[in-house]
Amino acid sequence: MKSWPWAILTPALIFVLIGIFAPLLMTHDPTKQDYSAILSPSSWSHWLGTDYLGRDMYSRIIGGARTSLVAMVVVLLAALIIGVVIGSFAGYIGGRTELVLISIIDIALALPSLIIALALIGVFSGEAWSWMSDYWKMIIALTLAWWANYARMSRAVVVAELQQPYIEAARVMGASHMWIFTRHILPHVLGLVVVYASADAGALVLAIATLSFLGLGVAPPTPEWGQMLVDGMSYIEDNPALVIIPGLALTAVVVSFNLLGEAFALQKVPKAVRGGLLRRKKSARAGEETARAATEAKA
Amino acid sequence: MTDFAIEATGLKVHFKTGAGLVRAVDGVDLSIPKGAFHGIVGESGCGKTTLARAIIGLQSSTEGSVRINGRDRTDWQRADRKGFARAVQFIFQDPLGSMSRRQTVGQTLEEPLLIHGIGTASERKARLAELLDLVALPSTVLDRIPRSLSGGQRQRVSIARALALNPQVLICDEPLSALDVSVRAQIVNLFARLQAQLGLTIVIVAHDLAIVREVCSEVTVMYLGRVAEQGVTKPLFADPAHPYTQALLSAVPSPDPRIEATRPRILLAGDPPSPRNPPPGCRFSTRCPVVEPQCRVTEPQLRAVKHQGQAACHLAAAETHAVI
Repeated sequence: MKSWPWAILTPALIFVLIGIFAPLLMTHDPTKQDYSAILSPSSWSHWLGTDYLGRDMYSRIIGGARTSLVAMVVVLLAALIIGVVIGSFAGYIGGRTELVLISIIDIALALPSLIIALALIGVFSGEAWSWMSDYWKMIIALTLAWWANYARMSRAVVVAELQQPYIEAARVMGASHMWIFTRHILPHVLGLVVVYASADAGALVLAIATLSFLGLGVAPPTPEWGQMLVDGMSYIEDNPALVIIPGLALTAVVVSFNLLGEAFALQKVPKAVRGGLLRRKKSARAGEETARAATEAKA
Repeated sequence: MTDFAIEATGLKVHFKTGAGLVRAVDGVDLSIPKGAFHGIVGESGCGKTTLARAIIGLQSSTEGSVRINGRDRTDWQRADRKGFARAVQFIFQDPLGSMSRRQTVGQTLEEPLLIHGIGTASERKARLAELLDLVALPSTVLDRIPRSLSGGQRQRVSIARALALNPQVLICDEPLSALDVSVRAQIVNLFARLQAQLGLTIVIVAHDLAIVREVCSEVTVMYLGRVAEQGVTKPLFADPAHPYTQALLSAVPSPDPRIEATRPRILLAGDPPSPRNPPPGCRFSTRCPVVEPQCRVTEPQLRAVKHQGQAACHLAAAETHAVI
């Protein structure tokens, strides 16, 4: 039990490495069609065979990893930044502004992210948005569907930290709001949000595949696992590997990222990486208790 | 007359709660001369902590004004927040909570210097060594986190941090209550030494009268959001004019068992009334052993009494006062 989660994190690691080094690993151009080798089984020149247009499956899997990785990283970073900025702002400023922002966040959270993304892609399909490629439409739609969770978390951390007496102490020392936020509050926010993002990465890879599966994400001929699944479905009787291989790749990566997030939460990662998610929760609780004791003592 | 470090006039702090208006501080006048070591005492809930917080602006006041070093505190803070911080510092009751748990002691002590952009890295390092010296801590604590220090060490660090900016006025909110009795004496002596060494004006909120008697040059006794009595510590403690002060002092145990066995004790009946709904007339009238009819009707104002200080009691006068 102590060592197996590490093994299961390998797919996530391989996914990231493959995504980074994709151009070096591909044996063929993943978009090049070869009508002399349609639906061929695995061979020395096509390790995993070819699809219905004669494209090399191995190179398409590799290329798909890169497509997903880039989209995932961009969406995750953008959602994280937007979420942290909006959430922290709401938590720090308080009052009516916070109320309005919380309402927006709650509305965004009430709807499933994928539904929001689908609706936004629908909006982007209009003439006015034709200058954007489908790929970027998907990235923007996913970002707008994904930020709310980070905003909610950031706000909660900011509100909890602001009640800590050391913030008051920093005010007494003459610290500006900017100083207090960047020096004292932001590190706590990032500590939590980054850990959450590691688990969220899997969900995002799945969402990208889902949108592409529905034909709303990455447009052909760019290799993408979800889209490869659809393409392969019609030929499942000729070559089941066309569906099985992208499906397996997707499953392994998603499960692996989920377990990574869980490992963070269960402190099964090295101390240096952990950032003390659970420890922080505990000490925050202890902080609340001392604060409560202090107010009781005063009262 | 103008050489006051702190002057509060008609200071009121009221809290709106679901159960009504809590009058935590309800009209306090306070004048603390420069270089004084002033103690604010009273039982729990009398508003002494709120008063200390209101003086430095951690708590906004409902009414009244505070002048520090002759300048209006609100205006000063608005115009020059950092300048104010360099002149007036605050020490919190809970030293651990008042330090970030992510920072080492060194980072904690350096933070005020960084905020105010004081010195180069090496100058700050020298200043840190100086501060540790001042509060008698070894330089080995710099790399430790506050949580790994003892209670006394933590309070020393928080004192050192407050001194980092060379303030003229130091306000301490129960700096001793979180400490072991054995450590209290050390910290009290530290305060006394710092006051003499640096010429600080120190205001200390406490509920330990023995300590106040030991170190404070003057004292304010609070009861239910108002000043009951104030004056120079020695004569006031020797001959308190207000029945409440007399009762408080009679509760201080004596280290001598023979005195302890025979000394008279005044037991006050009941609890202090709620600050939501203070009694009419004298606030102490509900528990005062020598209460007279007029006490329940008109509220006594502070007036000069025998020990050269002031007391808010109808029965106290310049020549004589009621003794329980």
